[in-house]
Amino acid sequence: MIRYRHGIMLLAPLALVLAGFFLLPVVMMLPTSFREYVPGLGLAPGVWTLENYTRIITDDYYREVIWRTLGLGLFVTLACLLLGYPLAYLIARGPERWRVPLILLVVFPMLLNLVVRSFGWIALLANRGLVNNLLTELGLIASPLKLMFNLTGLMIGLTHIYLPFMVLMLVAAIRNVPRDVEAAAATLGSSRAHVFAAVTLPLSAPGILAGSILVFVLTISALVTPRMLGGPTFKVMATLIYDEYMQLLDWPSGSALSFALTFMAIGVIWLSSRLTRNWAGMA
Amino acid sequence: MSRADDGSPGFGVTVAALAVVVFLQVPVIVVVLAAFSTTSYLTIPPQGVTLAWFGKVLSDPTYLAAIRMSLILAFGSTAISLVLGVAAAYALFRKALPGAEAITSFLMAPLILPAVVIGVALLQYFSLTGLRGSLFSLLMAHVVITAPYIVRSALASLSGVDLATEEAARVLGANGLEAFRLVTLPLILPGLVAGALFAFITSLDNVPVTIFLISANQTTLPVLIFTSVEMGVDPSIAAVSTLLIVGTGATLLIAERWSGFHRFV
Amino acid sequence: MSSLTFDRLGKSYSGAIVVSDVSMTIKEGEFVSLLGPSGCGKTTILRMVAGLVEPDRGRILIGDEDVTALPPNRRGLGLVFQSYALFPHLTVFENVAFGLRRRKVTGAELDKRVREALALVRLDAFAARYPRQLSGGQQQRVAIARALAPRPRVLLFDEPLSNLDAQLRDEMQIELKRLQRGLGITTLFVTHDQGEALSMSDRVGVMAKGVMQQFATPEDIYHRPATGFVAGFIGKPNRLSGQVVSRNGAGGSVRLGASLILPAAHVDAVEGAMVDVVIRQEAVGLRRGRAESDALAGVVALRSFSGPRVQYVVKLTDDVELVAEAPSSGPDSALAIGSKVLLAIDPLAVFAMTAEAIA
Repeated sequence: MIRYRHGIMLLAPLALVLAGFFLLPVVMMLPTSFREYVPGLGLAPGVWTLENYTRIITDDYYREVIWRTLGLGLFVTLACLLLGYPLAYLIARGPERWRVPLILLVVFPMLLNLVVRSFGWIALLANRGLVNNLLTELGLIASPLKLMFNLTGLMIGLTHIYLPFMVLMLVAAIRNVPRDVEAAAATLGSSRAHVFAAVTLPLSAPGILAGSILVFVLTISALVTPRMLGGPTFKVMATLIYDEYMQLLDWPSGSALSFALTFMAIGVIWLSSRLTRNWAGMA
Repeated sequence: MSRADDGSPGFGVTVAALAVVVFLQVPVIVVVLAAFSTTSYLTIPPQGVTLAWFGKVLSDPTYLAAIRMSLILAFGSTAISLVLGVAAAYALFRKALPGAEAITSFLMAPLILPAVVIGVALLQYFSLTGLRGSLFSLLMAHVVITAPYIVRSALASLSGVDLATEEAARVLGANGLEAFRLVTLPLILPGLVAGALFAFITSLDNVPVTIFLISANQTTLPVLIFTSVEMGVDPSIAAVSTLLIVGTGATLLIAERWSGFHRFV
Repeated sequence: MSSLTFDRLGKSYSGAIVVSDVSMTIKEGEFVSLLGPSGCGKTTILRMVAGLVEPDRGRILIGDEDVTALPPNRRGLGLVFQSYALFPHLTVFENVAFGLRRRKVTGAELDKRVREALALVRLDAFAARYPRQLSGGQQQRVAIARALAPRPRVLLFDEPLSNLDAQLRDEMQIELKRLQRGLGITTLFVTHDQGEALSMSDRVGVMAKGVMQQFATPEDIYHRPATGFVAGFIGKPNRLSGQVVSRNGAGGSVRLGASLILPAAHVDAVEGAMVDVVIRQEAVGLRRGRAESDALAGVVALRSFSGPRVQYVVKLTDDVELVAEAPSSGPDSALAIGSKVLLAIDPLAVFAMTAEAIA
């Protein structure tokens, strides 16, 4: 055991940096969210209000943005699950010598700059982008498909961005499913499909949940991709916050929205950890 | 040849999986193609090949300044995070303080909070304290977002180390620092390299925090690309992106060669 | 070479007492074992001596020097771990050289001393290998060479042989003993295996629940156990429930089962108390014969052969059975089930104590 004071010395620098440049700033944002913003003047002195928070629920526009954000989160999570599971299965159970190349091919886009990836989707989905050009040349469409600045483009782009996270978590989950349980089911008469549905899928459920939570939270927090593929008018919560700060200069409203987004993210994580605890007995 | 009941993926699953792999690489390929194209929009097949865009980017002072700033922040924050993060992880590993779980959650908290929220919080904070736009504040902001990756990979690597080896070193005459440096550090180095790579990429990549904190005369590469795209697509964006792609790919291959990187993802 | 003394060592974790007022002096060149079941505090004592755990109370002296406040790297000790704790990223040579390098030994001198240490454990040819390329027994020997190379004043062993298979363990016991004798190094050896402790040590300290039960030569431990715990831990005991019928000085008599009264020289409870009674199997004398006045009569219920000896389960009354031994090549080695036998039990070998004392 090393001494207490050595422990403090080792932990203090990082703890202080986080306290000073993370905890404190976030906490200090709280009072701002209860102030009122006067355009041109800044914060109205001495005025305290709940308006910034109530507006989130009462204002149609804000509500629409929130529903859109949550809906996007749900769609993207499902899409990542459907697309990611087969790939994760191949990596976890496929030929040994494919494993490392496949993992590297999954990790590579994940490491790549987010802006670059989003830009790649612009090049693909824009009205004069590759997809439209190809389809026009092949005579399949008469006028370009609107694939950007709407939900479609955003869904495709976000699914692509977060797919690697899902795949990696699923790989870990599938590798943890004991193969002898599957073999036992097979000897008891289960077909391949049935073994998968009755054994593999349920036993990889904790990993499915973990991956889903991760992708969901990342999606609702996303700023760069929605901004680039959705444009300045098709907003999600993160881009809304961006505009409130950078364009409208309405810091109080932006702070309130920030806390709302934070509570959504933490709420989802907390819920899932309750669920996981209930499932813990299954392993 | 796989037998029907041994749990290995069948033909359908394999095809679907490989299709997804291709899907994952498509935007990357598109960007690289666009960087060489003579036209400012993309066609297949491309209408001409040129290196002009690369030349334009590498001689543009704005791009060069942005690249320089990004690299300073990335290297700087990764280095600081490594020192601070490994120290903190080691203290947790040796159970030097009570409440290890709570402390760990606190150290990981920046990963849970939406990045945009961290960005705006720091914006307000730096404005209030007059630190806005300084290199120091940018660096600290990047330490906040990169340190959790270091702590996480350090903790994971340390969990595989037998404490007895450090105790053996101590009884043999090594003091605390020597025991760590000579015995534990070499053993956790591969995992730390992976963590450092994630931290470096996170800093290099970052927009949601950085964009709120830069002042008029400074910017980083991803923020520059981000704001450029808003003003219209231009193959020089593709060219600088291709440089990033090549750099990332090379780094990944080196990390894999050097420390078996795929084990740590 | 130095003596090793600990004086009234005490240690508690979260309110639970792990080591309680333990004192011991190990003479120069002596081989002493700390023996006891897991959780008895023996490993904690070893780690306190090494400096890896801070005692709550008491002092540790190496020779005349009080080292209680010194960190582990300044005590000049050698420690061989149960898991060997070799440095996986260093070769065998570098593992052994580690302690020497910390003492600023370099060059030809370093080389010579490393090779000496490796020669002592007969691993000279393995200097360039890595620990993962060695078998368990070989790793063990590297750990020993590593601990010895810096020429420590005292050598500590933390259950070093428990990960080896039985035959290798027996071989290593002899080799370690020979090594210790040859070097004359003061040694403290922690183990839970009584055979190991009794065969290797000059003296043995038996511990239970943080308290030193007895510190004596192996012969004394075996033939003259000082407490009920030692009697029940060493050798193969008969354990029965009984009740104290009368007290007489340090002893008295106990009733086993419903009707069997036995004189006992060590009774640790009051008259009428319910007790556990321990009688060493080896102390139960057995011969064929019919009932006599001063011996206990019984009937053979079960016989089992175990190499050098034969065990018999003898039924004395409806509710009392005792296990007795006889040499397997003697006259009583082939008694059939149902034979009538006589048991002679020396009161000095009968210990009665309340239940917690043995638990």
